[in-house]
Amino acid sequence: MRLINTVLFAACLAVMFTIPLWADQGILFIAGLVLVEMVFALSWNLLFGFTGLASFGHAAFFAIGAYLCGYALRADIGAPFLLLILAAGVAGALAAVLTGIVLLRRTTGIHLAIFTLALAEILRILVGYSTALGREDGLASIPRPSLELGFASFDLASGEAYYWFLCIAASVIVGFLWLICHGPFGRILVSIRQDPERTTFMGINVPAYRLAAFTISGATSGMAGALYAPWAQIVTPESAHWIHSTQPMLASLLGGAQSFWGPVVGTVLFSIINYSTRNLVGLAELVIGVVLLVIVLAAPSGVVGLVHELRRRLTARVSHAGPGAEGKAGSKGKFVQEAA
Amino acid sequence: MAPIDLLFTFLNGLSTGMAVFLVAAGLTLIFGILKILNFAHGAFFMIGAYVAYSITGSNPSSLWIFILAALVAGVVVAALGFVTDRIVLRRLRNVDEAYTLIATFAVVLICSGVVKLIWGVNYASVNPPPLLDGAIAAGPLFIPSYSLFVIIAGFAVYLALDIAIHRTWIGKLLQSVANDGWMSGLLGINVPFALTSTVIASFMLAGLAGGLLLANQTLSPILGESYLLLAFMAVIIGGLGNVRGAFLASVLLGVIESGSSLLIPNMPGMATYVFVILFLLAKPQGLLGGHRI
Repeated sequence: MRLINTVLFAACLAVMFTIPLWADQGILFIAGLVLVEMVFALSWNLLFGFTGLASFGHAAFFAIGAYLCGYALRADIGAPFLLLILAAGVAGALAAVLTGIVLLRRTTGIHLAIFTLALAEILRILVGYSTALGREDGLASIPRPSLELGFASFDLASGEAYYWFLCIAASVIVGFLWLICHGPFGRILVSIRQDPERTTFMGINVPAYRLAAFTISGATSGMAGALYAPWAQIVTPESAHWIHSTQPMLASLLGGAQSFWGPVVGTVLFSIINYSTRNLVGLAELVIGVVLLVIVLAAPSGVVGLVHELRRRLTARVSHAGPGAEGKAGSKGKFVQEAA
Repeated sequence: MAPIDLLFTFLNGLSTGMAVFLVAAGLTLIFGILKILNFAHGAFFMIGAYVAYSITGSNPSSLWIFILAALVAGVVVAALGFVTDRIVLRRLRNVDEAYTLIATFAVVLICSGVVKLIWGVNYASVNPPPLLDGAIAAGPLFIPSYSLFVIIAGFAVYLALDIAIHRTWIGKLLQSVANDGWMSGLLGINVPFALTSTVIASFMLAGLAGGLLLANQTLSPILGESYLLLAFMAVIIGGLGNVRGAFLASVLLGVIESGSSLLIPNMPGMATYVFVILFLLAKPQGLLGGHRI
């Protein structure tokens, strides 16, 4: 099983890195967007799938990062690109800390959803009003930077070069999130999602951990925005629109919110559906809607959960070892547990 | 600023608020009794508007055709509500609310895809029917008669809903189901039937609202979103699931929206969101929170 996973993972990485060699410009652009949205979806799911907080205004953090990076690149302030990405992360984290301090102690559930949504909409209106940020038209023709590493310098102006940079940057951020989710910190977050009260009884400062998760999520969302700005070369207030906030939710639930790789699978599936139905207006939404509905009704643990369930059944039949295999699948989340 | 401006702004706000309430009415009903936050409500509102548009065309020939179209839209959307309840909502009665949101969001996507496939993506607009296309002069004040119509329709729907819920046996029955579905079942109330009826009524209100509000907006596949957010805010500020609260909150939001477009015309919606945030920080349970329905 471990071998299969490793091979699968390596194959995905290989596909990701070789896309510029065999695909056309259109697909390359979509692949780059997938990488950005993937980081964004994973950031959102750190809150939802791991901590149990549903933010409906996550696009705000994304937009903060995107505007910061886009503005700095256009103004040509001479800061190294990597520093800009970090700055976008810090800005996202700051925004998350400020909102988190006010909101998290008071609200969860629907109220948190409405608060975050309203704040993001306020940001969108303010950005649309700001002349420096291009009002409703946004920042257009953002130049792609070059990467100065001290010992070497890479020009990222071409699509291929920036795409490879995106691959590496996204991998680093995803790796960082993976480490967070699979360490003691991640386990505490999961226990907060499952039962905040009991977690408090274990002596864990639940609000502090929630705030920490919110901050990390804001930071990585900001970085996703910073990666997006030079790729699309345009940033508009639409990036803060609540419709954009629903993107990571849909991707996470489609892929499986309770597993780390769910949002990644979901983002890729989304883009494939969108791309293959692009010729008939309305069909893409119809297909995505039906798929999403089937997933939520029939397999609430998403595509990844479905695959785990199938594997569990297969291995159970082969080895006749029910309980062990069941325990393995059950640890993936409460919905699988209930189903099993 | 002349007092006449203020009065005009207030009437405008009242009309906006009533429009919001027409959408929020069904939303708050379904939330109060089923505890489902129906994201798809705006989408069905949009379908109602498109159905009514198919009947009236761009120039409704008379007020009666306009109202008839709204009623037909209500019935069609109610039928869709029955189907949605069978396929989707019934399965979500005991599931975590996040999954309900996603499922209803999936329904939004399906609705918007179907609308695009049937009616296309082009904008359409509908003129108010004769009798409602003018304005009524009251002294120096000119009130568009369509705004007056929306205000009256909003009041009528509110009164009908309030009387149905608080003064009739059906309403009492629904209240008991909302309070304790299990106990109501033991007492011999057909709970699944009551819940399905609520869904149908809520969807009918959405379709009716779509038909009644048809005239003062451009018809496009994003119509659902424009009212949905305001209606959501009204439901939440009103105290989740409370019809009277939603009514008060809708009027409040309408007046704030219209007042802010007088004072800060460059930032539409800003005042509303700021108000919602401050209000909920001060009073998270809502205007009439605690009193269910």
